[in-house]
Amino acid sequence: MSFVIILIKGALIYGGLLGTAAAMTLAERKVSAWMQLRIGPNRVGPGGLLQPLADGIKFIFKEEVTPDGANKGIFRLGPIMAAVPAMLTIAVIPFAGETTIFGIDFGLLSLTDLDIGLLFVLALSGLSVYGGILGGWASNSKYSLLGGLRASAQMVSYELSLIMTALTVVALSGSMNLREIVEVQNTGNFLDWHCFTPVVGQVGLILFVITTFAETNRHPFDFAECEPELVGGFHTEYSSMKFALFFLGEYCAMTVMACLTTVLFLGGYSVPFWEDAPWIVQVGTFMTKTAFFLFLFIWVRWTLPRFRYDQLMNLGWKVFFPIALANLLLAGAVISLS
Amino acid sequence: MVDLLFYVAAGVSVLCALGVVVSANPVQSVMMLLGSFVGIALIYLLAGFQFLAAIQILVYGGAIMVLFLFVVMLLNQGDPVVLAREQGVLRKEQLAVGLAVAGSALAVLLVAVVRTDLPRPIFGYLWPEGGLDPLLGMAQAMFGPYVLAFEGASVLLLATAVGVMTLAKRQRSTPVAAANEEVSA
Repeated sequence: MSFVIILIKGALIYGGLLGTAAAMTLAERKVSAWMQLRIGPNRVGPGGLLQPLADGIKFIFKEEVTPDGANKGIFRLGPIMAAVPAMLTIAVIPFAGETTIFGIDFGLLSLTDLDIGLLFVLALSGLSVYGGILGGWASNSKYSLLGGLRASAQMVSYELSLIMTALTVVALSGSMNLREIVEVQNTGNFLDWHCFTPVVGQVGLILFVITTFAETNRHPFDFAECEPELVGGFHTEYSSMKFALFFLGEYCAMTVMACLTTVLFLGGYSVPFWEDAPWIVQVGTFMTKTAFFLFLFIWVRWTLPRFRYDQLMNLGWKVFFPIALANLLLAGAVISLS
Repeated sequence: MVDLLFYVAAGVSVLCALGVVVSANPVQSVMMLLGSFVGIALIYLLAGFQFLAAIQILVYGGAIMVLFLFVVMLLNQGDPVVLAREQGVLRKEQLAVGLAVAGSALAVLLVAVVRTDLPRPIFGYLWPEGGLDPLLGMAQAMFGPYVLAFEGASVLLLATAVGVMTLAKRQRSTPVAAANEEVSA
């Protein structure tokens, strides 16, 4: 029975993740169109809603091109390494507390309840660097290689700030278990969410959101692609479903990072003024919060210009990292005083 | 189930370790090393050490191997296939030395394992009795009895990092500084 429940949960959560990723491709195009006073895709299905489906079919039927002189095995490994770690990390995100559907007890609405949940997410998202580097190197093209190198340097640099900022939340809630981090904040009073902890919470939230942009290679930090300089960056030589896998990985990583920001700083599934909300309200709250951060990804992409590469590195090492360290110290002070 | 997983993980890490030595392409070697680390992390996980497993992936997989790849890609040694044809992947002397080192290491380890009184793992893995809080136990050990050793190691690492940076910076800035002095003179 428990095995069946895990299967159902898995189907729900992974269906939700892939569905969100598909919806994000449409949302990206629609929102950018509205921001630029265009209409956007509106031909497939009502209001263009079936566009992701059409895109998927198109990707499957495209010819697959492998460049001459490419390292075949690693060329194939690249997109897999980009997509799989991003999809695995969703397993520890709790979407709701105790859940009972049609009288069947589903327990916590997450695939696993790991004591080291946060570390699991950080460790696996660290592995998604390989997609860019391997793809870039194996393509045997200078643009791809440059894109891959940039992706690796950028992600390793920003990972430090990301981990340091996540550690402030661990210090504030005294646990690395994502369920416990949410439960600390789920008191019915939304001022207990970590983003409302004076100074530490706000600095942490802002730093965390910006570093997730760098971690997922999104605008204004998308140097791994950087069309004006590098053609298409690490995926210049990719076509068909392999190219689509890179995109799927990017959108899945964005979704997971938005979920993680919600869990760490916005109280996850906790509903303001309603501590024991039924699971469906909790899931709805969680999705609303996550949707805001997903929208932020698109909003920023179509608003801000791209940084310069040295600016990105300076920002990461000389600004974000010291602030993240200072913030961690401050969190320690706040905890010892309270 | 756990037995089977242990043998799979152990097999993967051993095969990947072999692949690191045998593959002609340095990038392939790095990927094999990554596979070996993932296998070892899985063994940690099976033994109940979740924290260690995650740290293994985070530090070795996410950071150190990326730096390895970075260096391998920056140092362009030419076409690895051509290089392998010219030099041979494994020359006889290399093979002999490698086997001797690996064999003696294995012998020392075997003697150590056989002669210690550690509780024997059954089917290759050990469950901690009564479950172990992976984080709390680790943290208490690190900041309790071993705090001096732990902080000492971190100071040592900091000193290394500062030293490396000073050396690298000096080498790079000297010609420029000299040129500036010449200009001002």
